[in-house]
This record gives sequence, structure tokens and C-alpha cells, in this order.
Amino acid sequence: MLVEFELIQKAQQGDAGAFNQIVSAYRRRILGTISRLIGRPEDVEDVSQEVFIRLYFSLGQLRTAEVFEPWLYRLTVNASYDYLRKGRRRLESRMADLSEQQVMMADAVAGSRAQSDEGEKRRVRDTVQELLSAVSEEDRILLTLKEVEGLSLKELEKVYHVSENALKVRLFRARQRVLKKMKEVTGPSPLSAKEDKTR
Amino acid sequence: MISNRPMEHQDSSQSRLDELFLAYRQACPDLEPTPNYMPELWAKIEAREVSTNWFGRVAKALVTAALAASVILGMMVSSANRPNAFFNATFVEALQANQMAGLDPLHVDRMAELGQQ
Repeated sequence: MLVEFELIQKAQQGDAGAFNQIVSAYRRRILGTISRLIGRPEDVEDVSQEVFIRLYFSLGQLRTAEVFEPWLYRLTVNASYDYLRKGRRRLESRMADLSEQQVMMADAVAGSRAQSDEGEKRRVRDTVQELLSAVSEEDRILLTLKEVEGLSLKELEKVYHVSENALKVRLFRARQRVLKKMKEVTGPSPLSAKEDKTR
Repeated sequence: MISNRPMEHQDSSQSRLDELFLAYRQACPDLEPTPNYMPELWAKIEAREVSTNWFGRVAKALVTAALAASVILGMMVSSANRPNAFFNATFVEALQANQMAGLDPLHVDRMAELGQQ
């Protein structure tokens, strides 16, 4: 945990300075997580501020130190989900503008792990956003937390209050849908195409 | 020999997706907040507090008004629907009352006459 529980208790009693310290300790991490969850850098600050506003108004309900971080993640997930739901139509129209060539290039970039300039990074972001559009907002967030943020199933269990097995099933299905979408937009992998020629 | 090409193809897709997620993680690094982050946050918190208080006051007033209206309506309904003995009686009681009303009044002198016969 990045802050002591005493600091949280002070913030619960209305100490603005203590709340400022909590925000300062976590905001960078929250900004990064939201940026990967929503994929829109220009809206990341707004969504992260919404997370801390919700934290401010619900801090009084927190009883133990160990639930603080999963709880903060839960607030982050909920705020990101609300944002994605509101912006779904806008995001879909933006994704429809992506050409297949761009997607192929981004995939090649990802394969070689050589994304050095901002243009390449943007293409990777756009590709992943398009692949994630194949699943619901809930699954998109869950998949991103697991595959991109690197949260373990145990950690996800604490965030979602759902059994590990249920999470595994949901993750598997979401991943299968993303894989299917990846095949649709990029075609068969270079490896399998090469094998087909040699047969 | 059994071909395991579909499995290999599946594995390559899985690893391609893993690489893509890794590239995505690198393409979206942790961000630094802008200098106005905290002042903006506090301004939003204060605005939310003001609106929450306003909504709270309005909600409280509405609840009070609704409570008063339901008490008045309750009183009006109860005074309008005074219990009617006929409608409140059971079927047997109503039938009995109806039969009793249809009988002639009992005359003691006529009963005596009947006894003499």
C-alpha cells in the first residue's frame, strides 16, 4: 500500500491535507490504469478526477486498510465503465475510420516490439482498441486489467467480488472473442501462411 | 502421425495477442498529472457538495410534502368509506337479516289461539 492507514483515517475525519496526500500517492498509477482502460489520453484526467471524487464521498465507509486498494481499483473500473458506456457511439465511429492497412502495420509493430515513435504507439493503441471493441465494456475492462495491467486472479477477485472460476470463464470467453476479431482484421498469422505455402 | 497444426496456429495467435497487449502497455505509459490537477479536483468536489446539499434539501422537502399529503389523503379516504353494516356482514348474516325482515311480527294472542286449537 502506498499510504499508511492512519492517513486514510485522517482523511475520513475530514482532513483535506491527508486526502491530498492520498491523491498524490495514487494519481499517477490511476492515470496510467485509466489511460489503458479507456484508450483516450485526452479524457484520462477527467475520469481519474471522477475516481477521486467518488473516493472522497465514500471514504467514510472504509473500515480496514487491506480493502483500500481493491476498492480504489473498483472505483476506477466503475468510472472507466461509465465513461466507455457514454462514449460508445463516438468510439465506434472512430474505429470504423481505421483502415485495414493501419491495423496490419500496428500488428507488425507489436510483433517486432519496436514501437519507438508516437505514430507507431498510436497505431498500436488504435489496434488494441479495435480488438477490444469485439467484447462488452465489462469484458474489455476485465481483460485489460488482467492482460495489460497484470492483475492476478486473486486481485481481480477482490476488485470484482466474484469467484476465481467465474472470472476465468469470463476471461477465456473474452479472449476468444478478441482472438477471433484479430483474425478477422489481420488474416492468418504469417507463420501459418508460410506453412500453407510449403505444404 | 497426427498433425498438430491447428494447435500451433492457435498458439501463434495467442502469443501474437500477448505481444500486442505488451506493446499496448508500453504505448500507454503511466501519465503525469497537469499542474491544475489538484485545484480542478477540489473545485469539482466542492461543486458536487453544493449540488448534493441542494438535492438533499429538495429531497427532504419532497419527502415531507409527500408524507403530509398521504396523511391527509388517508384521513379523507377513511372518512369517505364509513363502514356499512350491510356490506361488512357475511353472506349468512345478510341472508338471515333479510329473512327476518320478511317475517310477520310475532303476536302473542295468536300464539295462544294456536295453542288452544
